[in-house]
Amino acid sequence: MPQVFPPGGDALSGANWIGTIARDARDLYRFRAVLKNLVAQDFRLRYHRSVLGFLWTLLNPILMMAVLSVVFSQFFKFDNAGNYAIYLFSGLVPWSMLYATVSEGAICVIANEPLIRKIYIPKLVFPITRVLLNAATLVLSMGALFLLMVPLGARLTAPLLLLPLAITLFATFALGIALITATVNTFYRDFGHLLTVVLQAWYFATPIIYPVNTLPPEVAWRFWLNPAYPFIRFFQTIIHDGQWPSWALVCSSAGIAAVVLGIGYVTFKCYEDKLVFRL
Amino acid sequence: MIELSGVSLRFTTYHDKYYSLKRACIDLFLRRETSNHSAFWALRDVSLGIARGERVGILGPNGAGKSTLLRVMAGIYPPTSGRLRVEGRVAPLIELGAGFNYELSGEDNVYLNGALLGFDRREMRARIDRIWEFSGLRQFAGLPLKYYSSGMLSRLSFAVATEVAPDILLLDETLSVGDASFKAKAHERIMSVIERSSVVILVSHDMTSLSKICTRGVWIDHGTIRRDGPIDEVIQAYTEEVGHSSPAAGSNHEIPTADAA
Repeated sequence: MPQVFPPGGDALSGANWIGTIARDARDLYRFRAVLKNLVAQDFRLRYHRSVLGFLWTLLNPILMMAVLSVVFSQFFKFDNAGNYAIYLFSGLVPWSMLYATVSEGAICVIANEPLIRKIYIPKLVFPITRVLLNAATLVLSMGALFLLMVPLGARLTAPLLLLPLAITLFATFALGIALITATVNTFYRDFGHLLTVVLQAWYFATPIIYPVNTLPPEVAWRFWLNPAYPFIRFFQTIIHDGQWPSWALVCSSAGIAAVVLGIGYVTFKCYEDKLVFRL
Repeated sequence: MIELSGVSLRFTTYHDKYYSLKRACIDLFLRRETSNHSAFWALRDVSLGIARGERVGILGPNGAGKSTLLRVMAGIYPPTSGRLRVEGRVAPLIELGAGFNYELSGEDNVYLNGALLGFDRREMRARIDRIWEFSGLRQFAGLPLKYYSSGMLSRLSFAVATEVAPDILLLDETLSVGDASFKAKAHERIMSVIERSSVVILVSHDMTSLSKICTRGVWIDHGTIRRDGPIDEVIQAYTEEVGHSSPAAGSNHEIPTADAA
């Protein structure tokens, strides 16, 4: 397949997004071996250093949840601490995936400077690597933590069948944001400091450590202004409540995921050609 | 196979590479014109068509844009304007060690490097024996790359890069690998890759190797093509010019290196 620049041929640049997407899909397919290699090697680096590698990554959420459940179960109207721990688990573990993807996404282009400057590689590979890696981690830690939650009252229920859908939608959402942070951070290197604060504020604005029903219903609607809320609610509904999510919840998650991915993609593509000169 | 029409590349050099939001806000607030960068044209209106079977040597003074041209052909630098069309699998031997991950073992890096050049795991498995044999690093295959010496590193990446058979081979002369005995081996091997590739584009200051390998010469000066024709003609014109011109042109002509290719 010939490499052509400008990629759109004689078409108006920027006008033909369908063509751009098709080209990127082809390009990514051609580089799938690279993608597979990058994900596999990062995965191995994360876990194989120590035999306990994977267990160590679980230790952090476990301790976090233990502390939070002891402290906060006193404040909120939960029947028991175990129930609160499951609630916490169903929001906190997906959130850590978003957190990791977005903050790693911010530095993924800069960190791969040696690669980008020496050989042609579609830059989309890097944010996608981050999201695949963190989604895989999410699946693993969710499985392992769920087993630990069984003594506390976690049960396998039919709505858990929607978990793959929830993870896919949330990963799509995370990818969209990672594409934006990757672009901005490459141009403005101090964006990272800001990002940490923003992510922290966002975390507290999302009902993860506190249940949404502890707030008066007059203010609860405001959570719908938070784009991460439907996803977290989705996870909490199927894991903690053990209920099927409403159609509104599923559709709003899917809609937000698609829109955010679209914004991220357009942002990234508009600046992709300039990235190499800013490294 | 390669077609450039009116390709220009404007480099923006940032005085302050780490331009920050803070600076941007201050500049905005003080209504200061951002003088953070200055631009120059590294390539200006370069048109070049290279057909299958051609061996093109690119020559010119330092800083003329030779390596930049290679990088544009490799797809690393997207041109600012103009059109570029490259057909076939490109193997850029511009800088060695592209895409090495120093935490991983040599073997993993071979697979990653192969993938970057467009070869999947299965295709690389068929080649990995020859790579170990050539580089002589078989017993270090499992060792993380950070424990490799720099000589071992360059041998490994050279072995991978030359094991594949590309359609288009982009070569920068600055490749010098390993000790004397390896150099002799490397030279032989590079010649065999050149033979296997449909198109070779070589950047060098070494006129003897240029005239030996290439059939066509392109002389680049200040980002534009000064002369394009049969290699011997171009070399002659170039050496005459270099002989006469005073170094006041700003481009210091370096001594041709012996270990070209």
